[in-house]
Amino acid sequence: MVKDFDLTADLVNDVLVMKTEGYINNAGGEKIAQEFDKHFSNGVTKLLIDIEGSKVVNSIGISFLIEIIEKLNEKGGKLYFSNLDPSIEKTFTIMGLFQFSEKVSSVEDIK
Amino acid sequence: MDQHIKLNIKLPKVTDIELVALEGLELMGRHLGITDDKIGEARILVTEGIINALEHSGSEIPYVNVDFTMTKEKLIILITDFGKGFEPEEIEEPDIKSKLSGESKRGWGLKLMKSMSDDFEISSGRNGTKITITKILS
Repeated sequence: MVKDFDLTADLVNDVLVMKTEGYINNAGGEKIAQEFDKHFSNGVTKLLIDIEGSKVVNSIGISFLIEIIEKLNEKGGKLYFSNLDPSIEKTFTIMGLFQFSEKVSSVEDIK
Repeated sequence: MDQHIKLNIKLPKVTDIELVALEGLELMGRHLGITDDKIGEARILVTEGIINALEHSGSEIPYVNVDFTMTKEKLIILITDFGKGFEPEEIEEPDIKSKLSGESKRGWGLKLMKSMSDDFEISSGRNGTKITITKILS
């Protein structure tokens, strides 16, 4: 059974690293956006979402990630993803997310 | 003869009810030895199809029917709602650049289902909408 959504957030140097767990649906996407907003208002412009713990996403949840990209673009920041399930990576590719975000192996890859 | 398994479920309009269908899909896939990658893609199709159907199901008959027919070679997903229907041709193809600058970031379901599937059919009328998605699994 898919787990309830949860996330952890830590600042690693100037990168906000979020680890998600469970279904990224409307509520999950909103939680990611709310956590991001708290740090974005303090000047953080790099966000890495480690999505290993989320095997199920939907396009409503992803729409919150598009909002985040929009905000980051305005400040010259960037959204990064790590540990993507192949089907989620394909979903992001179809939606064009990688035109404005990047896949990395870990936070060390972010300059 | 190839093993051929079916699942028919009637889902009420309840938050995250699509997870019930995903559970069935994964059990069927495991039973037939389908790869995780193919099940992962099927998961996206089922999720988007059900969300789309529930959104259009209306309040008079607030449930959707979901039918899976699975063999080792392919999965056929049939999702039916009983709402007022819509004109699929009038739905504009979403584009990330226009979504970024636009008000609404949503509206990706049809594009994902068409792109992720091997065949996609939709028929919609005043009595509801039926989508048939085929996904090759072998």
